[in-house]
Amino acid sequence: MEQSEAIRIDGITKKFGDFVAVDNIDLEVSSGEFFSLLGPSGCGKTTMLRMLAGFEVPTSGSIVLNGEPVENVPPHKRNVNMVFQSYALFDHLDVQDNIAFGLKRRKVAKEEIGRRVGDALELVDLSTRATARPNELSGGQRQRVALARALVNKPQVLLLDEPLGALDLKLRRQMQVELKAIQREVGITFVYVTHDQEEALSMSDRIAVMSAGRVIQCASPEEVYEHPSEEFVAGFIGISNLLQGKVESRGQVRVGDVCLPVPDLDDSYSVGDSVQIAVRPEKVAVDEIDKPAYKIVADMFTVQGEIESMVYLGVGNQLTLRLSNGGRLVALEQATYRVQSHDQWKIGQPVKVGWHPEHCMVLK
Amino acid sequence: MNASRFWNWFVYPGALWIALLFAVPLFLVLALSFGHVDDLGRGVYGFQLTNYADVFNATYVPVLLRSVGYALITVILCLGIGYPAAYFIARFGGKYRYALVAALVIPFFVNYLVRTYAWVALLADEGLINNAIVDLGLTQAPIQMINTPFAVIGGLVYGYIIFMILPLYVSIERMDPSIVEAGKDLYGSPFQTFIHVTLPATQPGILAGSVLVFLPTVGDFVSAQLLGGPDTYMVGNLIQDQFFAASDWPFGSALTVVMMLFLAVWMVLYLRRATRGEAEVL
Ligand SMILES: Nc1ncnc2c1ncn2[C@@H]1O[C@H](COP(=O)(O)OP(=O)(O)OP(=O)(O)O)[C@@H](O)[C@H]1O
Ligand SMILES: [Mg+2]
Repeated sequence: MEQSEAIRIDGITKKFGDFVAVDNIDLEVSSGEFFSLLGPSGCGKTTMLRMLAGFEVPTSGSIVLNGEPVENVPPHKRNVNMVFQSYALFDHLDVQDNIAFGLKRRKVAKEEIGRRVGDALELVDLSTRATARPNELSGGQRQRVALARALVNKPQVLLLDEPLGALDLKLRRQMQVELKAIQREVGITFVYVTHDQEEALSMSDRIAVMSAGRVIQCASPEEVYEHPSEEFVAGFIGISNLLQGKVESRGQVRVGDVCLPVPDLDDSYSVGDSVQIAVRPEKVAVDEIDKPAYKIVADMFTVQGEIESMVYLGVGNQLTLRLSNGGRLVALEQATYRVQSHDQWKIGQPVKVGWHPEHCMVLK
Repeated sequence: MNASRFWNWFVYPGALWIALLFAVPLFLVLALSFGHVDDLGRGVYGFQLTNYADVFNATYVPVLLRSVGYALITVILCLGIGYPAAYFIARFGGKYRYALVAALVIPFFVNYLVRTYAWVALLADEGLINNAIVDLGLTQAPIQMINTPFAVIGGLVYGYIIFMILPLYVSIERMDPSIVEAGKDLYGSPFQTFIHVTLPATQPGILAGSVLVFLPTVGDFVSAQLLGGPDTYMVGNLIQDQFFAASDWPFGSALTVVMMLFLAVWMVLYLRRATRGEAEVL
């Protein structure tokens, strides 16, 4: 995969009246990359995408697509295509004419249109429905027509605005896999908007986590998950136990009356600084107190606590623990250990709680 | 079961109403169209086709053609004026949408006849417009506006344009705006997007509006009577004359039946098209 630059966004801002929807964002997307914009409702994801497509003109800043500045190029002259959240299929045209729409506007030769539409239909596995009208199709099929209609033009960049948002969970998971496979096959740069963190984690090469018009963190899924830069990211992607503490010494943070080893703590912190630590629930191991250690291993940091409540999740249990120092911690336990794991814990039962020190994430 | 039988009773008053006041007169008109006029000028039932032969004689065919021609021109003008208006209100009216639609409807609270008289006052040789342009010295003599096809068609457009705008407004308002963006995204210029996306998507409104304007316009007599002259005589005037001036009710009936059949053909074509569209939606 070539690593040239497909999109370069410099200091882009979009205001609607006094309201700042997108606030001074810089981004670069390499060609062939699967790039996700992830964030809560109203954070400006769609606005970003619409500026890339040309439906909104940025208030300030510049957009460069494949080396060409495009802020003032109208949508029909940009070599990008969009998959709309509502699909926006043309109901008066059948599936193949929907797909051929862009090629016809570009005056591509008839035989070539036929061939490319056929290929696109095959790619999205709809060859048998070529002459159906959009309203005769299922939600997943309509979604694939929308995708084919955009892909057939071989755009430099494909913009997708929550393309799977209208599908039910199962179909969504299936389409995620298909979409990712298609992206690998065609090698087109995808800019993918979603507010589903799991979707973003499983599909993206990189994720830009957005909040209130700004990009909070832009990194690979592993990085965003394992090393969230801020409390917002730690809370938005997965759930996190947040601990407020003070630097005790190098690599040590005092939280209440316990001292945690935090190897992640770098030199920029000095003794006495306040820091915020996050621990993912699935990193927290819980053992019965008077039995031999089962999940807690030697180099883990351990504290005492008791079970405060338990929620059965099917794939595991979500335990809320009250620690001996009064703090609270959520632990996610995989149901791989006992036959009937939910019989194992009793409310109020004293337990040992532990985690690897390197799983303490330092937030800014 | 019982409940539905109970509700069935509500059909009968309406059915009776239509039978008495619609079907029976229609049947009488049909019957009379095969009759003739007696020596006293009264219509007498009979069975002869002379009235129908008269309809298609050389005197009246131009009137029929003119009526259809005027109606078609009226439909086209209503579309040309109504589409941009409806489009603007539906897409850019924002919170003023309903107020703007109401503002369009309010003039139509005034009786059609009265509104047409207002046009007489505007267009007459001594009317507002001519007085103004003569006073301003733009022309020496008043411009002939009344008694021209221009005046008659103008009156028809003014009289019926609301029947075009309302269905257009509804179908433009119902259109998903993102398909227009999709058209542009797929390399359609604004004009191409309008032709290939917006027009087809709003076709139900265009069809409904055209039918709603065409039907009453073809049979209209008010505009031609007040704003026109002998050269702009329409089939509506012809029918009206048979019943009120010439007292040839059988011939008037035959004209009416021919008109109705002609319109029915259009109506059937429209319904077939519309129901096909409906089937696609379902
Ligand atoms: N045309 C507009 N006029 C005024 N405000 C707008 C306009 N478009 C978007 N906004 C505002 O900008 C903000 C960001 O909108 P945007 O549609 O980009 O959010 P989003 O991140 O896509 O949210 P969602 O996940 O709900 O789709 C919102 O607060 C919205 O109200
Ligand atoms: Mg959005």
